[in-house]
Amino acid sequence: VTAPAEDAAPESGSLRRTRFEQVAPWISTVVRLALGAVLLVAGGLKVIDPQTSVQAVKAYELLPAGLARLVGWGLPFVEIGIGLLLILGLLTRTAAIAAGALMVAFIAAVASAAARGLSIDCGCFGGGGAVAPGQTAYGAEIARDVGLLLAALWLAWQPRSRFALDHDEIEENDE
Amino acid sequence: VSSDTPAGEKGPAGKKAPAGEKGPAGKKAPAGKTTPAAKKTPSSKDSASARNARERARQREEQALRRRRDRRIIIAVAVALVVLIGGGIAFQAWRTSRAPSATPSTPAVIGAPATITSGKPIMLGNSDAPVTIRLYEDFHCPHCADFEEEFGATITAAQDAGTVQVALYPMSFIDQGSATAANAMACAAEAGFGQAYYTGLFANHTLQWSAAQLNSLADQVTGGKTPASFSTCVDQGKHADWVSSINSAADQAGVTGTPTMFIQDKPVDIPNLTVDQLNQLIASAAK
Repeated sequence: VTAPAEDAAPESGSLRRTRFEQVAPWISTVVRLALGAVLLVAGGLKVIDPQTSVQAVKAYELLPAGLARLVGWGLPFVEIGIGLLLILGLLTRTAAIAAGALMVAFIAAVASAAARGLSIDCGCFGGGGAVAPGQTAYGAEIARDVGLLLAALWLAWQPRSRFALDHDEIEENDE
Repeated sequence: VSSDTPAGEKGPAGKKAPAGEKGPAGKKAPAGKTTPAAKKTPSSKDSASARNARERARQREEQALRRRRDRRIIIAVAVALVVLIGGGIAFQAWRTSRAPSATPSTPAVIGAPATITSGKPIMLGNSDAPVTIRLYEDFHCPHCADFEEEFGATITAAQDAGTVQVALYPMSFIDQGSATAANAMACAAEAGFGQAYYTGLFANHTLQWSAAQLNSLADQVTGGKTPASFSTCVDQGKHADWVSSINSAADQAGVTGTPTMFIQDKPVDIPNLTVDQLNQLIASAAK
């Protein structure tokens, strides 16, 4: 009696797939590619000019000079790495969590700059550094990063997607 | 069903009193009834549990295989990320500390030395030129490098034609390199190759501008004919006071950002400027 029931279980399970379970991978596909592209572009624009990238980090006045230089040089490559993983759909959940952590750090940094009354550009997509007091855009910068954070959280929750190198098994093992 | 099996076995085994008649009957009855069922049930159970066990073993093996593969993927990705980020940092370190390049291939002719006066700009071009362009730039400001790339040639051509002289205010608010480059710019103007040095500084704006890099740029610009006074001037930061006086002068002129340009004291809207418009502005100012 037990043997046939075991055989039937996965079948009835797949039959019971909800509409959400069918749609979620497609949403995740769009979210994954969009978040990956944003990170890739953000990193790529910063890689071009290391001097400016370091300057953008220093403008936050949060890190000592040596560390600011390391972050200015290294962070763009971190963004590119995570962006590539997301676009490839490789270790999606881990990459999404890393992207989310990055966004939390960015939001905290921009919020702290705003709270301290600094007049800087976030340097999110290259550039950065001091701007005229009336030209800050902290609200929009934080809103954008919150949006990206939500995207990362969605992917961490629903990492399965189409056109990804990840197999379902990887995510099952993660769970 | 299973309880019959031991009874059927016991029947013939247990040599009880009515063995003669009941024995065969007792033997027959349970044997005939139960044996096929008894034979079938345990054997099908055995095969089912064996199948299950095999299935489970296969799944375990598959899972172990998957886990090993996942671990390999994770390790490969981790190594790739370390190489990417570590290599990236090393690459950027090299880019900012290497020797300057991309300088004009023809060595600059050493011209008349400019005098460096506190709070006063470096004058580049013919002093009889009818149009004066005031330029406020930081050698490490990325928009200044963009400006130079887009409009530098136009302005230089107008200088060469004798129409324009540039009053250069090299500001230094971005970083240490802004100040060392501004000082070196003053040294170069004093040594008579300011114009070529200016172009070289912006052509290499990603460099951090150590003294060695500034001296190396001078050698490239002059074709190795840098006067000895230049390297002394750079190494000692001779014009440090002048550099800070330029920042104050820019403040007093109400300049809040770089690049800022005035043509005959009229501010120019650089973000919306085109090369054609710049040529027109220069031409109309020259009339």
